[in-house]
Amino acid sequence: MFRLIKIDFRKYFYNRSFWILTALYLLLIVLVFAGSEGFINKIMTNAGKNSPIAIPGFSLYSFPFVWHNLAFLAGFFKIFPALIVVIFVTNEFSYKTIRQNVMSGLSRNEFLFSKVIFVFLFSLISTLVLFFSALFLGLTHTDMVSVGLVFDKMFFVAAYFLELFTFSMLALMIAFLVKKQGLAIGVLALYFYVIEPLVAYKLPDYVSQYLPVKVMGHLIDIPNSSLMKLFGVNFREYVSLQDVVLCMAYSVLFFVVIYWFLKRSDI
Amino acid sequence: METDILEIQGLTKSYGRLKALDSLSLKVERGNVFGLLGPNGSGKTTTLGILLDIINMDSGSFKWFGKLSSPQVRKRIGALLEQPLFYPYLSAVQNLKIIADIRGVPYREIDNVLQLIELTARKNGKYKTFSLGMKQRLAIAAAMLGNPEVLILDEPTNGLDPRGIADIRDLIIRIANTGITIILASHLLDEVEKVCTHVAVLDHGKKLFSGAVDEVLSGKATLELAATDMALLENTLSGQPWVLDLKKEGQWLVLRLADDFGPAGVNKYLSQKNIYLTHLAARNKTLEKYFLELLSENHVPTH
Repeated sequence: MFRLIKIDFRKYFYNRSFWILTALYLLLIVLVFAGSEGFINKIMTNAGKNSPIAIPGFSLYSFPFVWHNLAFLAGFFKIFPALIVVIFVTNEFSYKTIRQNVMSGLSRNEFLFSKVIFVFLFSLISTLVLFFSALFLGLTHTDMVSVGLVFDKMFFVAAYFLELFTFSMLALMIAFLVKKQGLAIGVLALYFYVIEPLVAYKLPDYVSQYLPVKVMGHLIDIPNSSLMKLFGVNFREYVSLQDVVLCMAYSVLFFVVIYWFLKRSDI
Repeated sequence: METDILEIQGLTKSYGRLKALDSLSLKVERGNVFGLLGPNGSGKTTTLGILLDIINMDSGSFKWFGKLSSPQVRKRIGALLEQPLFYPYLSAVQNLKIIADIRGVPYREIDNVLQLIELTARKNGKYKTFSLGMKQRLAIAAAMLGNPEVLILDEPTNGLDPRGIADIRDLIIRIANTGITIILASHLLDEVEKVCTHVAVLDHGKKLFSGAVDEVLSGKATLELAATDMALLENTLSGQPWVLDLKKEGQWLVLRLADDFGPAGVNKYLSQKNIYLTHLAARNKTLEKYFLELLSENHVPTH
């Protein structure tokens, strides 16, 4: 496995576009994390001007809610790491380097594993950025920090990892099946923004809730704020086992589809 | 050590209705420089693609070193298929390091292969800045990493300028002289003829011929003759049992000889008749002529 990581690592390490895209993406989510509280409070205060009751400013960043809040926010940006996956996997097809790799003695399965490892590590890095951002913001914005408070609801970070990994596996599948870079990016974006929402709209709820992007989105529910409680809305503050199992099942499914396809196709 | 490097049995591959390979069987032995000849679209690249696990076959089987194909087996084979395939943003050395990692070869071997292809001076240059000739040589370097037992070259001089072609040909001859088995696919016969010991001729996915180059080129020699009295020369020669064919071609008399009757025999016979030649040259049947003959014979509609 170390050999596969080493082989794949060299392909990205000296690639400037890889670093630029990754840095832009990470910078974006860190800025979103850091700026979201001020942004939301500003809207609230503005809205509060015309409200009969005063709306209290609140903190997104206090433990233990920070884990849930930021994991939910980060979920909106999962298309970016997925695009990076698509770009760098389809590169192997446009340069035909997958052919050179296999000719030189890499098995097709090893090639596939190296890409799954890439997806795993990239998702892990995003998750670590989320973890450290939330930890820092939590520590600086919580009045009374206690160990119990910090660790409470930290499982949302793990849920975010699963969401991102599953979505990136979907992107990986599209990259392997479509092969052409521009087309694969188009298919991913089209599926994410148009096709699945459209299909979900046509299908009854009890079916559409099992569509892949729906399942991933459902993993981390909208965080409750004091405002929402005011309206009597109450969302899940836990991660359901069913969603976890479904996400894992989808990851396995995407893997099996790529495996099956790669085994049968000429490269 | 096994003597059979490669054995192919009944390899078949179709692309839709097009039969790219039609039950092809071949054998390549250790130390052969094996030329795979045939026009474009005859199935050479498809064959090599299947042998390297790039293309899936429909039916048939093949064995490398007496073993079924596997990544382990491919590490003993070096290959250049049609065009060099590397990461454009990486340098020559970085590209070779990826191949070295795949093949489990220590990095110190990279300098050796770079020296072999004479690219040491540009080893840290980015691949995308290389000329086609340099790219092609780098592909040969990649193929030679890890001292493979077989080298597969598919149209290695495609698209190169005369200088590049000469470089690659010299390189192939140098590599062939080390005793490594080479499988060379080409439709440029000149390049094959100079290095090959064995050939197979393909057309429309079928094998028309395979055998040793000596066999192809030997036998039935053709001579160009001239003497002061051309009419006497022609009269003297015609009717001899070892003369298969005799005709005038420009200033020469062209003579096709029976097997085992060499130019020396002709010379001796004529001098006994007091005819002294002013010109005697053997016209070697080139591989190209042989190849064209084979193809044209095969193109006669048989049904």
